[in-house]
Amino acid sequence: MRATPRHALNAGWILVLPFVALVGALFLGPIFNILWLSVSDPTPGLGNYAELFTSDSLGRILWTTLRVCVISTAISVALGYSIAYAMVHAADGKRNKMLGLLLVSFWISVLVRTFSWLMLLGRNGVVNSTLETIGIISEPISFMRNELGVLIGMVHYMVPYAVLPILASMQSIDGRVVQASRSLGATGTQTFWRVYLPLTRAGLVAAALLVFIINLGFYVIPAVLGGGKVLMIAEYISVQVLVTLQWGTAAMLAALLLFGVLALLFLMSRFMKLSTVFGGAKA
Amino acid sequence: MQDKQFMRETLLEGAHAFQAGKMGRRSFLALCGMAGFASASVLAGRAEAAAGEIVMWNWGGQSEECHTSAIGNAFTAETGMPLKFDTSGPLQGKIKEMVDSGNVTADVCDADLFDAVALGKTGHLEPIDYSVVDKTKTIDGYALEYGVSIILYGYAFMYDTQAYPDGPPTSWVDFFDTKKFPGTRSLYKWANGSLEAALMADGVEKDQLYPLDMDRALAKIKSIKDDTIYWGSGAEAQQMIVNGEVSMGMVWQNRGRSIEKDTEGRYKLVNNGAIAMPGAYIVPKGNPGGPAVMQFIATAQSVPAQLELFACLGMTPTNSEAIAALAESDQPYSITSAQNFPNVVLNDPNWWGENTDTAVNAFLEAIS
Repeated sequence: MRATPRHALNAGWILVLPFVALVGALFLGPIFNILWLSVSDPTPGLGNYAELFTSDSLGRILWTTLRVCVISTAISVALGYSIAYAMVHAADGKRNKMLGLLLVSFWISVLVRTFSWLMLLGRNGVVNSTLETIGIISEPISFMRNELGVLIGMVHYMVPYAVLPILASMQSIDGRVVQASRSLGATGTQTFWRVYLPLTRAGLVAAALLVFIINLGFYVIPAVLGGGKVLMIAEYISVQVLVTLQWGTAAMLAALLLFGVLALLFLMSRFMKLSTVFGGAKA
Repeated sequence: MQDKQFMRETLLEGAHAFQAGKMGRRSFLALCGMAGFASASVLAGRAEAAAGEIVMWNWGGQSEECHTSAIGNAFTAETGMPLKFDTSGPLQGKIKEMVDSGNVTADVCDADLFDAVALGKTGHLEPIDYSVVDKTKTIDGYALEYGVSIILYGYAFMYDTQAYPDGPPTSWVDFFDTKKFPGTRSLYKWANGSLEAALMADGVEKDQLYPLDMDRALAKIKSIKDDTIYWGSGAEAQQMIVNGEVSMGMVWQNRGRSIEKDTEGRYKLVNNGAIAMPGAYIVPKGNPGGPAVMQFIATAQSVPAQLELFACLGMTPTNSEAIAALAESDQPYSITSAQNFPNVVLNDPNWWGENTDTAVNAFLEAIS
């Protein structure tokens, strides 16, 4: 009996293999190092992971992080959707100006933004001083140095990230679909909820994913604008690595973040084709 | 500085892969070419600092020029070795990581004495050579095996004179009393100093502070939690006061004079009950400059260096001769001056060296 002929190895793979090996080693190597650290420091075993269930403070930090990230994602995506909608329906010249303004805010460093927010909304900042002088309020409103300040800072940072994927998916919608829906008797609201929004679903999911994942890693904004009271996971990991030298805990939390995000992506893939989210073929 | 570090690490990984046969010579050379390094220097594995110079790892800002004018110039004149700087801030984790990786690039770190206790125990530091460095030229008890205190900084607080026109606060008891002295406060986020202040406010005597009663301190801190915001860096602390966000703010007392100037005298420094922290010079194990670094530390102890550090950075001298030589106008701002020293608490580096991790984590949990 003749054995089934083996497929010849595509020559392309041989050319690419060294580079793939290099990228694989340099990318996956440090990640495995961290995973290894999480089960080997200070004593070998899953002790660090068990801490997640026994430690009150870790639970609270995770809850704070999740809560702030989810709220910030929701607001950013909502605002981003409105902005993208306005941009898509604007004339070409106007749209380019809006895009320009959006991109400029990308280029402002996070520290500059943070301190600008403090100047604007701080206790003796521009807004509070003006309101007090006019007489609307007698005590300054505390916008900053608490969770509200963190949310304001994070949403401001994330809105450009939210706009771009949604804009991309909106631009691929044929405008006549909306007109067709109206001509068949649907009201504006019905058209939006049942025709337009589902068509932009891929962009919406992409934006939400992107914003949420970036939010999880936020450090500077919660540290400064939260007044030290909004402790999120990124800052906690940094303190464990640099100050308290509990590298096992830090590695465990970092691994948790990694697995959490991968799990989220897996969950999403159950509901939709992920390749559409990452710019692949249509669903 | 960060990019260079990352590039170097990438190339070291590449070098290891090349030596293990996992990467072809061409790909490795292309990698090096792309990174802009000669492959020879990577394979040789040379550390950045060579012998013949001293690299000081400090916190940047003004400290680079101040350390040069105070210590560097005299040291270079004596030994001919130049003084270079790494200004990224020698936190305990970074020092540990540097020594663990085997690629030690700094000779002396401007760190804390509790770092000397914690890292010395785990074998990450070189012992101080007390035949070159003088044990008597510092405060009693602050010349330890792996670190010697060159300057003192400390935690004190500043209050808003406009908020408390009659009967200003004079001690930590007043700081933690939000009924008598209403207003927002600021505390240091990473437990140091904040715990001692809380215990003193709760009535513990200055000489009975250590070992710190964590539960009592945290309970006191939680009692003013709603009125407190927390800072993590000197600039943040200064900004909170200058922007008028707090009525009473804990600060690093060496900044006291410059904040008083910035606020045009509106905020005043209270040194009563200040917690004096020994800032120490420690030497990572395997430092490239070798034993010459001990000469550097000895130079830092000299009277002119101590006085210049005080004038330039506000850091209090530890050399008793330098303390005696301070000018009248400088006395209120120096922790070790005759008028302040009796009211000051000396921080215990041994307790903090052992307990930093539990203390900091418990504090973070209490405030968030």
